Amino acid sequence: MSATTATTGRKRTIVERLTTSWLYIGLIGIGVVSFVRIITDTDDLTGAGTIRAAIIATCPILAAALGGLWAERAGVVNIGLEGQMILGTWGAAFFTYHYGPWVGILGAALLGLIGGLLHAVATVTFGVDHIVSGVAINLIGAGAATYLAEAIFPDYEGGGPRQLNGLEAPAQITIPGVSDLANSIADRHWFVVSDIASVVQALTTNISTLSLLIFALVIVSALVLWRTSFGLRLRSCGENPQAAETLGINVYLYKYVAVLVSGALAGIGGGFLALVASSGFSNGQTGGRGYIGLAAMIFGNWRPGGLLAGALTFGYTDSLRLRDTQSVHSLLLLVAIGLLAFAAWRAYKRQVTGALVVAGAGVLVMAWFLLTDSVPREFTVMTPYVTTMFVLALGSQRLRMPAADGKPYRRGSAG
Amino acid sequence: MATLALAGCGGGSDSEGGGGDKPAASDDVCKTADGDGPKIGLAYDVGGRGDQSFNDSAYAGMEKAVSDFDATCIEGEATDGEAESAREDRLRNMAESGATAIVGVGFAYSESVNAVAPDFPEVNFAVIDGFDPDDTANDNVAYLGFAEEQGSFLVGVAAAEKSQSGTIGFVGGVNNELIQKFEAGYTAGAKAAKPDIKVEVQYIQESDLSGFGDPAGGKAAATGEFDKGADVVYHAAGGSGSGVFDAAVEAGEGNWAIGVDSDQYLTATAEQKPFILTSMLKRVDTATYNFAKSIDEGKPLVSYTVYDLKQDGVGYSSANESAITDLTTSIDEYKAKIISGEITVPTKP
Repeated sequence: MSATTATTGRKRTIVERLTTSWLYIGLIGIGVVSFVRIITDTDDLTGAGTIRAAIIATCPILAAALGGLWAERAGVVNIGLEGQMILGTWGAAFFTYHYGPWVGILGAALLGLIGGLLHAVATVTFGVDHIVSGVAINLIGAGAATYLAEAIFPDYEGGGPRQLNGLEAPAQITIPGVSDLANSIADRHWFVVSDIASVVQALTTNISTLSLLIFALVIVSALVLWRTSFGLRLRSCGENPQAAETLGINVYLYKYVAVLVSGALAGIGGGFLALVASSGFSNGQTGGRGYIGLAAMIFGNWRPGGLLAGALTFGYTDSLRLRDTQSVHSLLLLVAIGLLAFAAWRAYKRQVTGALVVAGAGVLVMAWFLLTDSVPREFTVMTPYVTTMFVLALGSQRLRMPAADGKPYRRGSAG
Repeated sequence: MATLALAGCGGGSDSEGGGGDKPAASDDVCKTADGDGPKIGLAYDVGGRGDQSFNDSAYAGMEKAVSDFDATCIEGEATDGEAESAREDRLRNMAESGATAIVGVGFAYSESVNAVAPDFPEVNFAVIDGFDPDDTANDNVAYLGFAEEQGSFLVGVAAAEKSQSGTIGFVGGVNNELIQKFEAGYTAGAKAAKPDIKVEVQYIQESDLSGFGDPAGGKAAATGEFDKGADVVYHAAGGSGSGVFDAAVEAGEGNWAIGVDSDQYLTATAEQKPFILTSMLKRVDTATYNFAKSIDEGKPLVSYTVYDLKQDGVGYSSANESAITDLTTSIDEYKAKIISGEITVPTKP
């Protein structure tokens, strides 16, 4: 008897290890996407162009989401990300114009950091409600960028009161051999292989160094926050600042650092918009990407991996619908398969009601796919929002925010 | 016409000879004019002076009116997301401070002008791109519209004839009736020149006006079209258009972008310039000037006026001479046909 439990136990661990392993999930995901691409004959679904556009669309959201992660892990809700991002677009434009793109990125981070400083002073030092301060930062950021642009940019070459165009972009990297090889494989449209080749091609052909930097920052943030004592202390300020204080941690300092980093990251996201996603500053170009980053971070369960998945899903679906409205229809099949697979997983886990609900949703989406030829235009703009919500809501069933997130903390309150 | 087109981009640094040594706002004629002609209020839309497009074009028309009729002017500017009442207040303030004529720049002033005009029967109003929102006609309001579809038809001809690949693209900022006019005319023009041409159409947003201020979105949409084989892309996407130009630059030589509203060849960056085939011109300056002229002559315009090809209210630019010279004869033939009525351009795709 004990022998059988041991084997079932071992079986279970093997199955769990298989399915929780990111590599396998990634491979299965690519397999499904490839299957959908071939079934629906939508090569654009994994074309290198789509992947490249997706990376570009992802980066600013990802940077903002990372910014959100830093602040909220230290217990400060930062909805001022949008404002800090706007400041970043201006900073990137101003400093790039004078000193080139790399100083421009530092300038973007600096301006974002100033936005973060305002937020930190208000929320940490003066205990202002985080939401109120965040809204104020968004208004101040937009107003300051408009004012500064109007005051300074008309004198510049390529500038006007509302824009500064023709900025130099950070260097792009192409790995010659790999890029060409991947290109030729991607063009064959083979199952799975070509899809992976597309991704490789996008990653090795004219990829912006700033994109790579932002992806690297995700890994750096994860390591700093979860693998260093500094990160542990910072997170403890978001979970239980009173306890942290009793252990001798200077909670105010950690919160300050976190919010400053948060603002700088959002600023870099804004800088990406002004330097890579387009070639200049233009008023209002962030278009709410800071808020989307915040949402990706929340649905990503305040974890680096989760927010990366959220930002990628959003970036991918957004660029897909911008490039080819028709491909959104193929996306329906993808979502349906995803839902049904998830239902099967829940059934396996013996969560009957959950499985039935998800399966029902999957069947509905599948029916929608089979019974129509295209998705109404009004719906396609919602695609990124709906898909991201679906993916992340299903992916992370138990959202757990830092316990003291958004709560006021005063020094000495530990008693 | 050439001088007007130049003046239409007053915000551009390299178009006014001075190399941009003066900020656009400081040489504002509305601050310096002191003639005894009509006093005209200019209520700008979101963006205001310096948008290198719509609002600047209205200002250019006013500038000319100031020098021709000794007019004076007062300005006001809308802010993003402001309430309808803020627009009304702006118009009322202008009327109360002695303006005898007020121009609302942009269709968004239609409602507020409709509300304010009856209270100031002595003041003449004009709304550019405007419409009367209710059934009672206002006898002191002029609605100055443009036949955008006709201008778009001409650049559609240019695109089709320039295209080597047989595929061209269109990027709209927001999928509303106004922008659909651009799409319809463009497609019709392209098909007239080359019946088997393929036109890829993308809109950045369906109803959210942020589609006019999103260069990153414009670039993604245009890159998608270039990737699908298009080699000429026309945009009607306002501020998102610079992203469309960037996409053409990235697509490389042999690919083109077409600008909109003002002659964007003149305001584009040095890198973008060689890729801008032409621009669909919408002569907001002409409309504004003519309205001011009608006031000066004591016969104010009222009701609907449509500025079309016949009145040079729309057109195309040939600023990028080397790119467009071969095509002008053919384009001008179509232009003549539209003016004579031989071709009727559709306004809906």
